[in-house]
Amino acid sequence: MAQATAVKKPDIKKIKKIIENSPQDKKQLIMILQDIQRELHYLPIEALQEVAAYLGLSYSHVYSAATFYKSFSLVPRGEITIRVCKGTACHIKGADLILDQLKAGIGVGAGETSPDLKYTVEVVNCVGACAMAPVMIVNDKYFGEVKCSRAVRIAEKG
Amino acid sequence: MVNLTINGKPVKASEGEMLLAVIRRMGIDVPALCDHAAIEPAGNCRLCMVEITKKEWDGWKKSVTSCLYPVEEGLIVQTHTEELHEIRKTILDLQLANCPNSDVIQKLAAEYGVYKTSFQVQPEGDNCIMCYACTRICEVLGRNAISPTQRGHNKVIAPPFGVEPPDCIGCLSCAHICPTDHITWHDDHGVRVIWEKKFELIECSKCGKRTITREFADFLIKERELPKEYFEICDDCKRKETAKKFGTLAIKVREAAI
Amino acid sequence: MKLDSIKKLDAWQKECRKKLDSQKTKVLVCLGPGCLAGGSDIILKEFENILKTKKIPGITLEAVKKTGCHGFCARGPMVVIEPAGIFYTKVKKTDVKDIIEKTLMKGEIIERLLYKNPDTEEIYKDWRKIPFYARQQRIALRNVGQIDPDEITDYIANGGYSALAKVLGTMKPRQVIEEVTKSGLRGRGGAGFPTGKKWATCAREVSDIRYVLCNGDEGDPGAFMDRCIMEGDPHTVLEGMIICAYAVGSTEGYMYVREEYPLAVVNLQKAIEDAYEHGLLGKNILGTDHSFDIKISRGGGAFVCGESSALMKSIAGEIGEPRAKYVRSVQKGLYDKPTVLNNVESYANIPEIINKGADWFASIGTKKSTGTKAFSLAGKVRNTGLIEVPMGVTLREIIFEIGGGVLDGREFKAVQTGGPSGGCLPASKLDLPVDFDTLTENGSMMGSGGMIIMDDRTCMVDVARYFLNFLVEESCGKCVPCREGLFQLHQLCLKVCNGEATEEDLALMERLSKTIVKASLCGLGQSGPNPFTSTAMYFRDEYMAHIKDHKCPGGVCKKLITYRVNDECNGCMACIRVCNSNAITGVKKQKHVIDEVKCDRCGACYAVCNFEAIDIV
Repeated sequence: MAQATAVKKPDIKKIKKIIENSPQDKKQLIMILQDIQRELHYLPIEALQEVAAYLGLSYSHVYSAATFYKSFSLVPRGEITIRVCKGTACHIKGADLILDQLKAGIGVGAGETSPDLKYTVEVVNCVGACAMAPVMIVNDKYFGEVKCSRAVRIAEKG
Repeated sequence: MVNLTINGKPVKASEGEMLLAVIRRMGIDVPALCDHAAIEPAGNCRLCMVEITKKEWDGWKKSVTSCLYPVEEGLIVQTHTEELHEIRKTILDLQLANCPNSDVIQKLAAEYGVYKTSFQVQPEGDNCIMCYACTRICEVLGRNAISPTQRGHNKVIAPPFGVEPPDCIGCLSCAHICPTDHITWHDDHGVRVIWEKKFELIECSKCGKRTITREFADFLIKERELPKEYFEICDDCKRKETAKKFGTLAIKVREAAI
Repeated sequence: MKLDSIKKLDAWQKECRKKLDSQKTKVLVCLGPGCLAGGSDIILKEFENILKTKKIPGITLEAVKKTGCHGFCARGPMVVIEPAGIFYTKVKKTDVKDIIEKTLMKGEIIERLLYKNPDTEEIYKDWRKIPFYARQQRIALRNVGQIDPDEITDYIANGGYSALAKVLGTMKPRQVIEEVTKSGLRGRGGAGFPTGKKWATCAREVSDIRYVLCNGDEGDPGAFMDRCIMEGDPHTVLEGMIICAYAVGSTEGYMYVREEYPLAVVNLQKAIEDAYEHGLLGKNILGTDHSFDIKISRGGGAFVCGESSALMKSIAGEIGEPRAKYVRSVQKGLYDKPTVLNNVESYANIPEIINKGADWFASIGTKKSTGTKAFSLAGKVRNTGLIEVPMGVTLREIIFEIGGGVLDGREFKAVQTGGPSGGCLPASKLDLPVDFDTLTENGSMMGSGGMIIMDDRTCMVDVARYFLNFLVEESCGKCVPCREGLFQLHQLCLKVCNGEATEEDLALMERLSKTIVKASLCGLGQSGPNPFTSTAMYFRDEYMAHIKDHKCPGGVCKKLITYRVNDECNGCMACIRVCNSNAITGVKKQKHVIDEVKCDRCGACYAVCNFEAIDIV
């Protein structure tokens, strides 16, 4: 994969720190994974193994959860995460147009990450800002009533 | 004891028993692909659905998976209505689109008059019907080497990252329980390969025959508290040895009698 | 400060009220999701920056409050000045100086920022008089948009936790359940199960542990009521849960919030910490024998986790696959213990029911669906936003009176309620009263309260395809009818969209839908075909147009349409700039031409054209 070239080895110390700051309770599985995801933007194999060992869960169980829930990624994501909402309101108000423009403008399609690990474009099922549809979110900043002609500029400038 | 009626016949069942078990005991043929005595029922395949009602329900009926529904006093069960036939037929029709090459599915579908699927055949279709029998048996053994991964239509049974599972001991339980023979393995020159993982098979110290994997033996020694020497010779040689022991014993007894 | 008796709470309440009233003027800046997308955080900062340097008699920095969603998202970002109710809409950073200098310092109203009714040109000085608000009745949303969600004192000053005090001080658990039962409150998550009955069943179960859970996994696309409650008034949810815990005898609770709502998690966490600090959670609440803990559990992004058994599995750290519910979760729920699971809005109603009485609540709404219901209005409607109305009002009242009608004066085609499990209702059903049973009888459902309005430019087959695609992605994949059935139903729907389907395909879709409904393991599959069945019932002519005439009347399905430039084109080149397939040619100030062969029908040209110069044929 072209992505792998830019990937550094995951910071095991950082992972361990996040894990050890959480209660040692099976219930915490999803939340620990979320915390690691937030920090590293993805879940490296090492993280899944560490979490499994810490919580006394099987490795396959942790892997299963990491692939079941949509907020996790097993491959590195870009520095800038662009989320395009595809809730019903956004769909009928032209969310697809935004995705088309992003694909053409920054070369990253839905669910893809640019080879230089700068951008990741994600499609999300409704972020609850339907009144401002269509909505896109760059890192954590919301943009409402996005005109497709402005999508690329929003992605680049935030 | 619980009293219920199945297809018009009164029948007794023990508390906590599942409907499917009672139905089978009566000799009624209800299809079920994900049910197995060694594992907890899951209700994945949906073929064992039956229609239930009670006198006090005023004609209200519902369809339930009999593998998961515990017997209840006064339950009135129908196993072969037109509606159930339609449900099973459609489910098999769907499975046939998903597993076009599975002879188990082909045969069962044909019983319901489906010879060719009405739906779009999936080019990437394999023989897995996603019944979870394999992952459930692996869980029962306490290994959890494989699990259902991804979700929805992309769901596959797989080891983590699709590579050789570290927790697999090559016991073949998953392959043996699989109703559609989807899970494959092979033994060759003392090496077993399953889930792309290679295992060395133990060699019988007497006859040289290959038996089980070293990992499986270690697992049984530890978890089932079997003696270490137990796996040094194969079952056949063990049988021969026992026969020999009994033979000498019998000779001794005879000699003593004389 | 730990409140170790009910008396202390009463005293503190008076103190908070006094402090709040001492602020003569309050400036409320809405930080709801809609206004935030419009940059209201920048406006709040600007207020703070200016007020830090400028001294205005009677106005301190404390007078400026951030609030949750005020409701009228279409007009955001908004700033409300209370108690006068001055309602400034579409506020920009540059307007802040004006607001301070004119309105706050001189009492002048800035007319250009006020809401003007586009039909009557009437200007409203008090937001309460605007038709969007005037027809609403707010119970669950009573504090949302009015208080600072981070300040427990705001909630207390508005009567917060007095229902809890009443329950702990004067009522037996049995009486609480009776009161809730009498109120007729039904689950606001969508299914409408009577809340009191649920509590009573749980309380009856013999068990050492009982759990109280709150479902904040608002997964329905197009719904954001629960988000606004959790973000804008988190304490009301907590109070509802603590009361429930007292009624059913529980000491442990979980608040399940979806990861997509990070602000809700932050605000709830703060509220929980404040509640602990003041003795409203934890051991011996308000000095009584009732103890209760609440922890937050963050969802991982799976729609199916809104389903009760999947939600409980997710809380336990497992993958959210539902189990067959032949034993109900009130009897065997989380960790196989009796569990009450209610939705955010249901809990938000509880304190008011206790405070004002079951009879008061039951007098609102209809006989079988009492009280009010919050809805989020979105899609092609003029007044998008968050509303709460008494049950039984008609769809027409909601869409045309509160919602202000269809956007851009286009024709109304359908309203989608109930999310992916719901359905689409046509114009002929506009006079239906909105309540649990009526919507279900008509092939849709209440759902959690998302209401999406569609105009004549929407293709109903495409809408069905959209929802089916959503469900295929969100199905857990455990059982065959849902995993394979919805997948095939989506494939067939795609065939219709592409103009490749036959009438036999439509019949097959209907046959397949019946099996999916009957044979699926959980609610997701059982209601999964609804978007298809409801559109096939009410908009059959659209399906037939795709199948027989190979036409998409809504002008949406790419394979069946072409774009053409008409004579309105003045050659502005806007369309050329967005066209990614280089299909449009032309020079400035001359009519452009679209190459139908190169065109990929993405519709970008149509969306950016300001002169209606592009036709869909």
